[in-house]
Amino acid sequence: MQAASRPWAGSPDTKPRRRGVVRYATGLRALSISTVVAVAVMLGLVFFYAPLEAEQGFLQKIFYVHVPLAIVALCGFVLGAVFAALHLNTRDSRWDMRSYVAIHMSLIFAVGALVTGSIWAKGSWGHWWVWSEPTLVSFLIVFLLYATYQPLRFAIEDPERQARYASVFAITAGAFVPMNFIAVRLSTAYLHPRVLGSTSNLPASMAFTFLVSLLAITLLYATLFKLELTTKHTRAQLRALRRRAERKSAVDGRTVGLRQRSAAPTLLPAPTMARASGRSAR
Amino acid sequence: MTPAPLFGELPALPLHTAGKYVAGAYVVIFALVLIYVVILAIRVTRMERRLGELLEEQTPSAPQELDAPRPESTLV
Repeated sequence: MQAASRPWAGSPDTKPRRRGVVRYATGLRALSISTVVAVAVMLGLVFFYAPLEAEQGFLQKIFYVHVPLAIVALCGFVLGAVFAALHLNTRDSRWDMRSYVAIHMSLIFAVGALVTGSIWAKGSWGHWWVWSEPTLVSFLIVFLLYATYQPLRFAIEDPERQARYASVFAITAGAFVPMNFIAVRLSTAYLHPRVLGSTSNLPASMAFTFLVSLLAITLLYATLFKLELTTKHTRAQLRALRRRAERKSAVDGRTVGLRQRSAAPTLLPAPTMARASGRSAR
Repeated sequence: MTPAPLFGELPALPLHTAGKYVAGAYVVIFALVLIYVVILAIRVTRMERRLGELLEEQTPSAPQELDAPRPESTLV
């Protein structure tokens, strides 16, 4: 009888869910544990399994972290463009949030790739940066391009317009990433060693270590992406709760707080979003 | 001197020289992740504080609202 009044009581799968409610933290614990294990295995393989490279010796160990960081950062930028396209297609602000977080995380990973690359260049070439090297300069251009993403968002106050313009930017810049990659690989004079496309030339132990490193860095990206998304979503929900409380306070005659401008996406349900854009259209 | 032969002629750095660069690169990554986690921790602490404030604001008024008669009922 009790089960009849609560039909979801026996099985969590049949528990009714509120429409539109997304729980970003689902699976975060498993993902975090996988990442810790993968990073530990990666470090073990890099320092105790992979042999020393004949030309560069111990310095080549930097590549196991530098190259995956660069690959994952560039893929993250493209992922941000895919999410942005989905946002423009569906007008669902959750895709905008995902696009924002993907680009945000990729920027952090790109900083890591740039710094580790510079350290390697100093050890190998004797210079922190070589301006005549197309791979380095093109990566820096992509990084600087995406560094304007957050100021662009911050410059637009209206949440709906901010999301739309940011999505257009993310798609345009995302299309630029593979084009840039292909253009650099087609250029003949280069100093930067090639890893992608030449893994078949690597000894099996080095190729295996590289692939595990790529997996570990990808998992790290996925975990931080999910964590950031969860935090942003929770903060957005808290803001919504605060606004609701402020509206209630205004009705009661108490002071109403002002909305702070933010570069972070605002999660709005579709009808509210349309109203917001209509209200703020100048 | 063209760049490509320069790379080919580079000798392998001995461990005591290359070690500091490798350690530096891995420390940078560790520091980046650590800074990120610290920023997240600060954000979560702030959210917890705001949630606490909201709860404080809402809790005392709740029993009064329940006890107070509705405006509609006074009109009738």
